[in-house]
Amino acid sequence: MILGLILSSLLAPVAVQELEGNSWSVWADRVYTAAGDLLEGAVIRVEEGKIAAVAPGGSAPAGALRAAAVTPGMVDLSVRLLSGWTGVEHAREVNAGMRASDAVELFDERWKAVARSGVTTALVNPPDFNVIGGLGLAVKTAGGPDGAARELAPERVVRGAMGAQPSTRNHPAFGRPEDLYSRRPTTRMGVEWEHRAAFYDAAASRADAQRAFPGSPELLRVLDGELPFMVQAWTTQDIRTAVFLKEEIEREGLGRPRFVIDAAAEAWREPQLLVRSGVAVVLPPFAPLGRTGEDAFMTIGSAKLLSDLGVPLALSAHGNTSAGNSLCRQAGWAMRGGLSFAAALAAVTITPARLIGVDERVGSLEVGKDADLVLWSGEPFEASSAVIGVLIDGRIVLDPRAGAEQAD
Amino acid sequence: MTPSSKLPTVRRLVSRAAPLALCTALLATAATAAPQSGKLAIKAGKILTKPGAPAIEDGVIVIVDGRISAVGGADTEIPWDAEVIDAPQWVAFPGFVEAHTSNGIDRPNENIDIVPFLQISDSVDPVAFFFEDALRWGMTTINVQQGNQTVIAGQGLIVKPTGMTVEEMLVSTDAGLKLSATPKRGNSSATQVQTLRQAFGDLRRYLEDLVQQKKDGSDQSRREALFQGRELEGEAAKGRAMEGSAWKVEGLERVPRGEIDEKQAPLLTLVEGRMRAFFYCGRAMDVVHALAIARENGFLAQTALLLDGDSWKAADRIAEAGVPAIWEGDVMFSERDVITGELRETFVPGELDRRGVRFALSSENPSSQSLWYQAALCVGQGLPRAKALAAVTIVPAEILGLGKRVGSLEVGKDGNVLLLSGDPLAVTSWVERVVIEGRPVYDRSTDIRIQHLLEGQTPPGTMAMGASLERGPVCCEELLPHTHEAGEVKKTDGEQGEKKDEKKPEDKPEQKKPDEKQQGGEPK
Repeated sequence: MILGLILSSLLAPVAVQELEGNSWSVWADRVYTAAGDLLEGAVIRVEEGKIAAVAPGGSAPAGALRAAAVTPGMVDLSVRLLSGWTGVEHAREVNAGMRASDAVELFDERWKAVARSGVTTALVNPPDFNVIGGLGLAVKTAGGPDGAARELAPERVVRGAMGAQPSTRNHPAFGRPEDLYSRRPTTRMGVEWEHRAAFYDAAASRADAQRAFPGSPELLRVLDGELPFMVQAWTTQDIRTAVFLKEEIEREGLGRPRFVIDAAAEAWREPQLLVRSGVAVVLPPFAPLGRTGEDAFMTIGSAKLLSDLGVPLALSAHGNTSAGNSLCRQAGWAMRGGLSFAAALAAVTITPARLIGVDERVGSLEVGKDADLVLWSGEPFEASSAVIGVLIDGRIVLDPRAGAEQAD
Repeated sequence: MTPSSKLPTVRRLVSRAAPLALCTALLATAATAAPQSGKLAIKAGKILTKPGAPAIEDGVIVIVDGRISAVGGADTEIPWDAEVIDAPQWVAFPGFVEAHTSNGIDRPNENIDIVPFLQISDSVDPVAFFFEDALRWGMTTINVQQGNQTVIAGQGLIVKPTGMTVEEMLVSTDAGLKLSATPKRGNSSATQVQTLRQAFGDLRRYLEDLVQQKKDGSDQSRREALFQGRELEGEAAKGRAMEGSAWKVEGLERVPRGEIDEKQAPLLTLVEGRMRAFFYCGRAMDVVHALAIARENGFLAQTALLLDGDSWKAADRIAEAGVPAIWEGDVMFSERDVITGELRETFVPGELDRRGVRFALSSENPSSQSLWYQAALCVGQGLPRAKALAAVTIVPAEILGLGKRVGSLEVGKDGNVLLLSGDPLAVTSWVERVVIEGRPVYDRSTDIRIQHLLEGQTPPGTMAMGASLERGPVCCEELLPHTHEAGEVKKTDGEQGEKKDEKKPEDKPEQKKPDEKQQGGEPK
């Protein structure tokens, strides 16, 4: 195959050492650890699914998996891959206690495509047709022999949504037959009011156990800063609403929550607001003409602007795995907008891992961490480079040797 | 450039508010856009003349009267009266060639099945946003054809994305006919193929009838032609034996060509092998039909296939037929196994290459509109770089019959040059300047829309956000970011300044109204 021919011309032919399981040596011309400087020509030793050593210099050991470059497995905080009915939850508007882990299908074929695109850790959130949808879970996108091995942590964030989506299709109960959507809120104001009510009610349940409600314990964990509140807000007004909510909670002494604003397409309009309130941002996929979801306009320079101001920044592909629009392409677009390679790498690896508190295990290539690796045909994030190999927990998900074998 | 050279950009824009003044002003712009001497020299840090050829470091391209007269190293002689674009840190590259698009026209599809007599020139919208954006992405030659929801559509047009009228945009009228083997909405495959075959059957019966009329001494076709007001003089008054390799109508030389119905004439030209055909195949099964119909009717040698969907699976047949292809799908084709549910991906350009199909890439695809991006993705999947670059330059040029005019930077070819901030396939490279036929037509440093797209800046009084034209002159000189020192336009003879105001064509993007209709248009 063509790929094979190229590979074999790029890399000297290797004697393929058949190692079953999760122990490997990986050698690359350039190793980007996301935890320090670039290593020119380095070997990563993987033992029992963990990184045992990252050793620069020297030459490739026999039987090593090889690539032009290696980065940590990428982390996407907004994959939007729930199976089955992902519409509105009829029970309540605020369902902080519901768990996406009860709805995620880990053996959906789509996960394989996500994994092959180089995303090794993903945050799966409840759908956004409720004001507060529930608990998002962090999973490995492939690799584990069973579901339990794939779950990093079932409760990583509480998910909320500002803007139009939670009230989409809702209408008042009167004047027409009752149906699933005979419910509130029906406006942006209503959505925001539901958020505030939820946090005030949860705070009130601290002193008075009688006022506890399903989901209030999880909201208290948010107020205590234990779980981040990840809130979708595409447009400037929704971002402002989210930021003001956080500031009000702090001002009124309800707690010290951590906010992550997801799909913050228009974050570039008022970046100082984000700096002031100390929120983190997940950007949605770039659009060639700037128009993203909810008709929000996102500049190509957004990532550079926010990164330069020190706003914790992650990129997301929203589960897109196509050759032109997967997560690594989003990093490329961010670089096209001026973001440095190092910052782009951080925005798809260590920063998102930190935001959901799984950086002890993933997000960088350091000894003792999970062996989640992406092998590249050239410089990572360039449009002319592709993901040629993926390891998750040391297991080969995409085999970098496949092309080389077919070349014979 | 001097500050004064930028001011007219906005002033001229505003002065065009009066509808009557609009055309005149734009025509004047176009007329004065070319260097006054008709000579332009581009000094670039690197020149990539054509895919696979070694790069020229610190090279010079000389364009005289729209054609490249010299390409070479730093010692290349520059005419004393040539304008010079001095761009030591930029890369010169041939303009990208789009082999087929249905953008830039008001409506891509005609609901009548057989319309070979339609001319796309009546549909091309010179102020469409598509053409403005084409410059931004470095597309300098574009084949505009009707959409894929058709049986036999009209005749296309090859244009450059600059000019206020179709005449100004024209590169070649010899674009060819659009056909589709994939059923249009409402058709089954059987109906589609039947309709295609019937069109050629009808043509044959019609021609035979004409010949019979002449034999019978009836002049019905002549009266019909006169009734329709057609000229029947010169060539049109002469009859000519039917050409073509597949089938012929004996005695056609008896019929003056001018007497042949305009609705049938284009198909006759096609069957005679004197017109190109772009045959859309959205599925592998369509390829077989398209090749058979083209072969049966003698236009296989003039055919290029527009491929989408799983049509690449018929690559062996395409290679065997020796026709080129234009890949309009995503570079990775993915399909789900019916039984296992497994997603399988195929790198289509690699597959076409491996099976010996000559192909061009197209901006008509789901992932991105830009040709460099398609080429870069192909390199990532293992296609050799030279082949990927050829698929967006010289190969589409050859498919369009313009192999001697565009697609590479060689002496004698049109002066279509891109100045890029880096390697053509690097993700951080931008199109800084575009020169078409020796005229600078795009300058990123004055492209307000791209500043808005990058940083959200919209200078007041400009059109990027649909602002009114009638606000009066606004000087936005201070608000336009000056990030590029390179690329200064200089006169070698030192006579700078006075001609600057007229010759500035770089304000192209602001000349056009935002036309977002394009984005959510009809399916192609």
